[in-house]
Amino acid sequence: MSVRLAGVAIFMIAALFTWYGRGYTASFGDVLGPGVFPVIVGIPAMILSASLVVFPSGQVEWPERPYLVRQLAALAILAGYAWLLGPLGFPLATFGLIVGIGIVLGGAPLKAVILGALFAPALWALFDQVLGLPLAVLGDWFG
Amino acid sequence: MKILTPTSAAFGIVMAVGMTVSAPASAAECIAPSNPGGGWDFTCRTIGRILSELDLVEGNVQVTNMPGGVGAVTYAMVVNERPDDPELIVATSTVGITQIAQGRYPAPVDAVRYLAMLGADVGVIAVDDDSPIESLDQLTEIMANEPGSIVTAGSSGAGGWDHIRLLMVAREGGLDDLNAMRWVQFDGGTDAVTQMMGGQIDVVSTDMGEIAGFVESGDIRILAALSDEPIPAFPDIPTAKSQGIDVTGYNWRGLYTGGEVSDEEYDEWVSDLETLYNSEEWQTAAVESGLIPIWRGGEEFSDFVVSEAAVMEEISRDIGVIE
Amino acid sequence: MESFLFLADGFAVALTPLNIALLLLGCFTGTLIGALPGLGPVNGVAILIPLTFAFGFDATSSLILLSAVYFGCMYGGRISSILLNIPGDEPAVMTTLDGYPMAKQGKAADALAISGVASFFGATVAVVGLTLFAPLLAGLAIYFGPADYFALYILAFVTIGGIAGVDPRKTLLSALIGLMIATAGLDPISGIPRFTFDNYHLYDGVDAIVALVGLFAISEILMLLEKAAKDRAAPIGLDSWLPSVRAIWSTRWAVVRGSIVGFIAGVLPGAGASLGSVMSYSMEKQASDKNGTFGKGDPRGVAAPEAGNNAASGGALIPMLSLGVPGSGTTAVMLAMLISLNVQPGPLLFERQPDLVWGLVASLYLGNVALLILNLPMIGLFSRLMMVPTWALMPIVAAVSFVGVFSISNSIFDLELMIMFGVLGYLLRKLDISLVPLVLGLLLGGDMERNLRRALSISDGEWGVLLESPISLTLYALTAVFLGLSVWLARRDRKRRQARLTEG
Repeated sequence: MSVRLAGVAIFMIAALFTWYGRGYTASFGDVLGPGVFPVIVGIPAMILSASLVVFPSGQVEWPERPYLVRQLAALAILAGYAWLLGPLGFPLATFGLIVGIGIVLGGAPLKAVILGALFAPALWALFDQVLGLPLAVLGDWFG
Repeated sequence: MKILTPTSAAFGIVMAVGMTVSAPASAAECIAPSNPGGGWDFTCRTIGRILSELDLVEGNVQVTNMPGGVGAVTYAMVVNERPDDPELIVATSTVGITQIAQGRYPAPVDAVRYLAMLGADVGVIAVDDDSPIESLDQLTEIMANEPGSIVTAGSSGAGGWDHIRLLMVAREGGLDDLNAMRWVQFDGGTDAVTQMMGGQIDVVSTDMGEIAGFVESGDIRILAALSDEPIPAFPDIPTAKSQGIDVTGYNWRGLYTGGEVSDEEYDEWVSDLETLYNSEEWQTAAVESGLIPIWRGGEEFSDFVVSEAAVMEEISRDIGVIE
Repeated sequence: MESFLFLADGFAVALTPLNIALLLLGCFTGTLIGALPGLGPVNGVAILIPLTFAFGFDATSSLILLSAVYFGCMYGGRISSILLNIPGDEPAVMTTLDGYPMAKQGKAADALAISGVASFFGATVAVVGLTLFAPLLAGLAIYFGPADYFALYILAFVTIGGIAGVDPRKTLLSALIGLMIATAGLDPISGIPRFTFDNYHLYDGVDAIVALVGLFAISEILMLLEKAAKDRAAPIGLDSWLPSVRAIWSTRWAVVRGSIVGFIAGVLPGAGASLGSVMSYSMEKQASDKNGTFGKGDPRGVAAPEAGNNAASGGALIPMLSLGVPGSGTTAVMLAMLISLNVQPGPLLFERQPDLVWGLVASLYLGNVALLILNLPMIGLFSRLMMVPTWALMPIVAAVSFVGVFSISNSIFDLELMIMFGVLGYLLRKLDISLVPLVLGLLLGGDMERNLRRALSISDGEWGVLLESPISLTLYALTAVFLGLSVWLARRDRKRRQARLTEG
């Protein structure tokens, strides 16, 4: 069932891709133009995904609800990191990321905190000080 | 670790502008709107190094890479977030101005203040060493009369600077329908030249710096240099001007700063950069990387950028890059 | 034979105490940088270029340091491919296919050693090939036109079909998804933005490293979270800290074949190391996967792409030095490095600065020697990573991946994109759709499209141009042979399996 659904999803994406791709035109430039290659790629993608809908192969077992919740929590932590990196600054945000993912993965909270407290500053030092790639110590909220 | 309160957060957001990246020892920041290793990155790193060697800034110049949209991401950031930050300089070049002229940046050309041009690569028009085309005259005649009979190429896409420079020459030589000539894009000037040596294409329009080796080895022939004066390293190559085609096509490297930086701070940057330009360090670094040191600074440079953008816009309209 | 004398001089110049020290330092730093997901050879060398200026080394010493860093990074990328299933850079993608399964079986030390030895052998083949044939090959490479490149990419994609997975439809679909993603961004030929959703961050297209790290590292975390901590096959064991010589020896023919295929792919300007490792892997699979062990931890599946990739990066020096055409991201950085040392590659470089060219060749080779000497004893240390419990290892991997990507681009958007790729990677893995073809589609798609369009621009719209040159025709013939062989092998295997079933 999952493979069929995925086939439908990929088919729709490929169809949209082909439809939009076909519409790209340039009144100048090369002979083929920017619209042909998307069609060349999109149509076989549509055919293959349609064949997966008709003749699916393989079985998919999705994780049970509690694990699904953990996965969503992990994604939320990752997204939170992306959004809080600017405001919090690098070491603090990284600390949060390491502790959060560590706990979601089943580490003991105290151990995860120790891990974060060690590695967040160490990574900052490695990138900012050793490799010379600037990373803010404190974010905008401490400006 | 959660020491934040909503009030401090709100305060922080207000204070956020202009404080995104700051290293303690830096008095100035140069943004290269590309990945490490590109041309704009070179401009920032070289200028940054020399600025601090000459003590024109306190400490080191921090180089930040901010790639995206051929410079558009950085342009948007400067215009929206740091228009009055006097510490900030950004690398740009003819490539960036072409993008602005074709409306591919989120703000017009005058949204920032242009500081100076420090060097340039010269555009050239080249053919294979055993090509039947011997002179620029001959080429312009073919382009004007049978534009479909030759395949031209360079390192930019259709409507990019290499293409536009060639079209400026073709138009000056009498070609009316600019779309009639075939143009093939390659990833670099050397790619185009090797394809020409392999017999795939007939004419290459690109920067001299990258392909100088092929000229010295005699594998290709340069019909014209698109500069006011002959290129110092190749005094025998005639300019287009000297052959009656009044076109120049530099690919300059320069810097801009925010649009609301005060006149005083702007003038200070311009004079610092002029000191840098006149230093031995820059003159050597520029030549080593295939550039000809050329100075245009302050208002003179701004006017130059604006008029260059206008020419590009006009040609782009003629060939249909923009409607 | 003059070349060999020059090469000997190159070695003499390279082997001073300072240079040897730099060599070891470079290899060590490079390995560390390369092992960090998100930072590969491209960034590693770019980051260290200013350092060579800061210390004021001469051109030869700088070259040695940077080449050592370059090869160190490449090797470091293998470490994370093999131990974590996260390729550190583009050419390391193929190594995950058999390297990670080997590590899961407790053979991490073997896999790392095979990778080191195969790389070394690939580099040796490249250096010998370079010394013997450089001028000749450079002369031939210019006759490879856009239509021929298109034929080469067709061959590459057909061979990808045989790479991985149970269902070839899924493998091809994965490659097509990669090709679709590759079209996003400003079209370099017409300048028109495609599939950018008016977002300037997408104008440069999807960065391969962002996609790689998201697809592999983040999806790996999601895969791990599927099971409760106690059910997880926590720290994967390690049979031995010492690599077995027999395992390495068993890959000898894979290494030889991989090196030759890789070298040829490398010499073509624009093809580069990724293509080299793909072609060597799929050719090797075709040649020797008799029992269906490839993709499940076959040592030859590690050896072939590793040898191929290093032979290709050595071979790629020929167009890079003699024509100034960089074949890939990594050779582009080498080119930038040479230019920053005031060396302008081009047709006259071999005549004018032979000491420098051969110094570079010698230092690249020495970089490989140093890696072998430095890293073989450290394999035990690296493989101990496998003993670190998941809850401690993966958060650090996630943090390093994010910082690696962010420190280069300063873009929050890239981090968001990485997370989206993580979800995509997870879903595809659940559906048994291999991620490797997707990455290859993303990496090669842009060039494939551009060469097709260039060919048609040159011919003024005449599609016949694709079948005109003898080179293209040869490549299409190879493609047909490859397809025929795959079908024949698949049928033979099925018959054998049926025969075995009836016997049992």
